[in-house]
Amino acid sequence: MGLERLKTVLKNEKTSKTLELRTPIIGASGTYGYNSEFEDFIDLNCFGAISTKGITIEKRLGNDGDRIFEVQNGLINRIGLENVGIEAFIKDKLPILKQKNIDFLLNIAGSTIEDYEKLAVIAQENDIKALEVNVSCPNVKKGCLEFGLNPNSLFELVRKIRKNYEGFLIVKLSPNTSDIKALATAVEQGGADCISAINTLRGLGIKIDYVGNKFLKKTVQGGLSGTCIKPVALYMVNQIRQAVKIPIIAMGGISKLDDLFEFILAGADAFQIGTANFIYPSICSNLALELNDFMIKNNFKDFEHLKGAIINE
Amino acid sequence: MKSKNYIGKIKSIKKINKDVYKLDICSDIESCKSGQFISVLCPNKTLRRPFSICDFDRENKILSILIKLKGEGTKYLSSLKENDEINFLAPLGNSFEFFKDKNALLVGAGIGIAPMLFLKKEMEEKNINNYLISGFKTEDEIIKGSDKVIVGGSVLDDIEKLIKEKNIDVIYSCGPMIVLKKLSQTAKKLNIPCYVALERVMACSIGVCRGCIIKLVKNNEINNFSVCKDGPIFKGEEILWD
Repeated sequence: MGLERLKTVLKNEKTSKTLELRTPIIGASGTYGYNSEFEDFIDLNCFGAISTKGITIEKRLGNDGDRIFEVQNGLINRIGLENVGIEAFIKDKLPILKQKNIDFLLNIAGSTIEDYEKLAVIAQENDIKALEVNVSCPNVKKGCLEFGLNPNSLFELVRKIRKNYEGFLIVKLSPNTSDIKALATAVEQGGADCISAINTLRGLGIKIDYVGNKFLKKTVQGGLSGTCIKPVALYMVNQIRQAVKIPIIAMGGISKLDDLFEFILAGADAFQIGTANFIYPSICSNLALELNDFMIKNNFKDFEHLKGAIINE
Repeated sequence: MKSKNYIGKIKSIKKINKDVYKLDICSDIESCKSGQFISVLCPNKTLRRPFSICDFDRENKILSILIKLKGEGTKYLSSLKENDEINFLAPLGNSFEFFKDKNALLVGAGIGIAPMLFLKKEMEEKNINNYLISGFKTEDEIIKGSDKVIVGGSVLDDIEKLIKEKNIDVIYSCGPMIVLKKLSQTAKKLNIPCYVALERVMACSIGVCRGCIIKLVKNNEINNFSVCKDGPIFKGEEILWD
């Protein structure tokens, strides 16, 4: 494929734990399915990895009612962590990831510390290389985001997951906080190897139509994503970069090559693509190819070299 | 057939009534089936827009959709001109099941007639007896191509009588949920299978985002299915109607 120069190694310098990726571009959780759902549209060898749909202990049916609300340059979702549950994931979804040789981060979410511990144990038992811990889903009533917004409970949570899991541990942070630096520090001190950020922002979508002398109203509260959140994501990634040494996987409104460069300057070591997958289903592989072409054309021998040039020049 | 991202060209665009446009799109697409849909990029909006395929000319690879003006996305698409590019994912979703020796009733309510027109064409090619009835709110909303058109009233008003008269063995329908629900209930009462094509707001249109979920009851168990990937065609009797 000739994408050697995109090879990316995320490394926790303190523990020397690493995650090797074919490219720095990852399909974000909730937008890429469980395994090979996008194979009609992309070459599965042409991008870094997928982050799986968020997996909980039990199967979840998610929220009733409208789940999607389109806004200007963005999208509000309230899926509510619908997923097959860890047992069905291991039995039905994992074999396909292995068979098709798709690198992945297992994204997990829980309502209690015990849930996360159990999921970590199962990940360890199944020799899963990388775990992305969702402590920031705004769409579930209990747990999840509660851990993600309090540095002390987040530190405890990460420490307990770390005890049960030896692979590459990534914690996904919420932007819905006034102090992202404190959360990032808690994650690093708790023993995580990497931070991914940002999850969706809390948003409220309202649509009002005036029909037949009446206002028809519709409101959807959920997580906001898409290109409209990019400035927030850049800010948050930059704040995290100032607070910790571990690598950062950045996401939030990425849809083109320039976005990757901007996030590198803000502090990113790799990227996730989310909402843009819905509009351009080939984007994860296309962006990797575009980045590769750019690097060949401009003589950047590897991704580290490119990062260094953007940050230091 | 695999779904793909096609860049097609507008072969023709015609206003066919008060607020519906017919787009004929020329592309490399080799095949598609009635009931399937395409998801069209609207550069002025975040999300693509899903449209049922209302016709397909295999020989010339021309695929047709009906666009009803609803918001900015459809407004943009209605402003396209001949030879303009159009970016779409296709073919998406499942398709209608055919039964060789059964008399089929096709029911289209409003813009829901779109997949029924393609279904009717395919049934005629397969020599399957069919009767398409459609309903529209007003005269200026009529979309042509049915055996019978109801204007003003409900397309379901005399549906039981029609089912008996025409010796109907199977029903296919597309339209608002309330119409599909009532029709499914009638079909169930008469012990006739009823296939419905659902319309939903979609984000990914390929089954990953879980944004367009419908609850089905199968083997006494309620489960989520995605309208875009598992559907848009479902058996009416399996849908957990609100």
